[in-house]
Amino acid sequence: MRPLTVHRLLWKCSILAVVLLAVMLLALKLGAVPISVTDVLLDLGRVVLGQRGQLSTEYRLIVFELRLPRILLGIMVGAALSVAGAGFQALLRNPLADPYVLGVSSGAALGAILSLIASPHVPLATPLAAFAGAGLTIAAVYFLGRREGQLDSGTLLLAGIIAASFLSAVIMFLMTTLAGRDSRGMAFWLMGDLSTPLPPGMRWIFVVGLLAATAAIYSTAADLNLLLTGEREAMHLGVHITRVKLVVYIAASGLTGLAVSVSGAIGYVGLLVPHLMRLLFGTDYRLLIPTSALGGAITIVLADTLARTVVAPTELPVGAMTAMAGAPVFIYLLRRRLR
Amino acid sequence: MPRFFSRGFFIVKKTTGRKLNHRKQGFRGALALALQLTLLTAAQAWAQGATPQPAQKTDVPIPAVQEVTDETGRQVKIPQAVRRIVSLAPSLTETIYALGAQDRLVGVTDYCDYPPEAQLKPKIGGPINPNLEQLVALKPDLVLVTKSLNRRETVEALERLGIATYATDPRTVEGMLASTARLAELIGAREQGKTLVAGLRARLAELKRLLATHPARRVLFVVWHEPLISIGRDTFLAAALRLAGAESVADTTQDWPRLALEEVVRLQPDYLVFASSHADESERNFEALRSRPGWRSLEAVRQRRLVVISDAVNRPSPRLVAAIEELARQLHPEAFDAKPETRDEKNETRQPKKATAAKRWGSRPCGR
Repeated sequence: MRPLTVHRLLWKCSILAVVLLAVMLLALKLGAVPISVTDVLLDLGRVVLGQRGQLSTEYRLIVFELRLPRILLGIMVGAALSVAGAGFQALLRNPLADPYVLGVSSGAALGAILSLIASPHVPLATPLAAFAGAGLTIAAVYFLGRREGQLDSGTLLLAGIIAASFLSAVIMFLMTTLAGRDSRGMAFWLMGDLSTPLPPGMRWIFVVGLLAATAAIYSTAADLNLLLTGEREAMHLGVHITRVKLVVYIAASGLTGLAVSVSGAIGYVGLLVPHLMRLLFGTDYRLLIPTSALGGAITIVLADTLARTVVAPTELPVGAMTAMAGAPVFIYLLRRRLR
Repeated sequence: MPRFFSRGFFIVKKTTGRKLNHRKQGFRGALALALQLTLLTAAQAWAQGATPQPAQKTDVPIPAVQEVTDETGRQVKIPQAVRRIVSLAPSLTETIYALGAQDRLVGVTDYCDYPPEAQLKPKIGGPINPNLEQLVALKPDLVLVTKSLNRRETVEALERLGIATYATDPRTVEGMLASTARLAELIGAREQGKTLVAGLRARLAELKRLLATHPARRVLFVVWHEPLISIGRDTFLAAALRLAGAESVADTTQDWPRLALEEVVRLQPDYLVFASSHADESERNFEALRSRPGWRSLEAVRQRRLVVISDAVNRPSPRLVAAIEELARQLHPEAFDAKPETRDEKNETRQPKKATAAKRWGSRPCGR
């Protein structure tokens, strides 16, 4: 592993930031209603200079109330899922770990649906319930995945798959029996969907939660690198294993809960993006976590732009786009590694 | 100092700092500043989403506003003169056409296929996932939604965008009629609404009179045949069946129950009712079912007691009455055999001459 310098970290991140910015501009421009980015920038300039904006009200509504918020939401969801994926991969020392594969997304979705059934109008209930669902699921999967006190990679994946299918069945049961008339919307949301704007109150909760959880995982990055060599080895090198695991466990569950509560279960991002970043930038977690956050943001914004434009004005669920694009890329990566 | 900095989180090479010359630093500083500015403006724009922007409203004359309670109990402010309507449900699109207000309809969903000319209107996507950007671009001053089809999240999002949204919630045929009348009033088409609803009521009353002496047929309404999905007792479809002299054998509080075939065999309905815009397709489906185990032990299937009616019955719109009549005619042909001519004449005389749209819609038996 090459020594990491602040210089190198910033350099790699700024490359990705520039790509993200380009993707954001593309996403701002493309959509059911064509938008001229130059017009928007000129108008922003006018407003900054203290003049009256000259854009029509509809134009302004579309850009600033719908498209830009959606892009920002995509950035945050992508970052949350990718960092959570990277966290789970380190925590479980399993390269195939991902909120979706491990059933954590399904757990969060079940929590969210339960809260929607029980108290549909309490604003904070959904993310909290999703967080609880994610946390309980990963705990269950973790304990089911142990064999003779050791975390077994195959058993763990099986436990995750079983948990995911069990939780999906419970969700199906609830949607056909309890939810009644609201179930169509839920079914759409379950596929992963960014089209519903976030209520204003949720925005700051999401931003603060995302930053706090990412920072928490990042603070353990050096320990995660040691953990990759094996638990015992890491312990001998002075890593406080229980503490590190607890921090990553809570933070990654929280990130999954946040992402799922606003956008449903978007698959493959948490699995694919950290792998892609490893191929590009190496396995050092101090570099992997920030680059995964940026890479996840780029991926989701791109996928959502596709979802919005392929059959416009009809929208596809973004989860369908990520799975459609993600699964082949993943197989390609897997084959290349095997060769 | 955070722990990870003190524990050698990064290896800071002093040379890297020294190597930077001033030009490079300046460029980097500018880049960082530009990035910060972009993020800041983005964040501001985002935060502004929470607050309405009254500044723009001043250059437009403030239109007179009426405050109404919609059918889900929400208080809605709607302009007195509604000029641009977007419909988020096929049934609402049909209702607007039936009221003769189609010129003011500026947007419909992908599924609004009746009347056929509605398909030429600008599309805003599906009822569950409408494209809000497209919707805003159409500058509607009223968006019509219906509780059974559209999502609450959509309504909330429209509310935040400051777009007036009126929700209907018809759960019976009577509810559909009342809803149509209210909608007519809302968009300033009260007279057309009155004529339309009166005509429909008269036809339903006539139907009731004709069917009074005929016992209800026990039918299985097939929403979907594989898996078998029927209707619950609280749906407007069940209400429509009752008005057509039929009674659904499925009796459950669930709206769209998945029925076990053996339960249907036990219930032995008199007729199977399919709703479809393509009658021959339903016939083909029916022929396929005849050879299947389970289905072929149904008396109704063996005797080919099959009724295919217009899929208008699926939509709580004025066309529903025509579909009910059609169903009644097929289930109780003997009730209509007596004097079908006089009924049509009566219908003609009852309708005032000026309401052409209502008449066209009212007298059309079924638009297939």
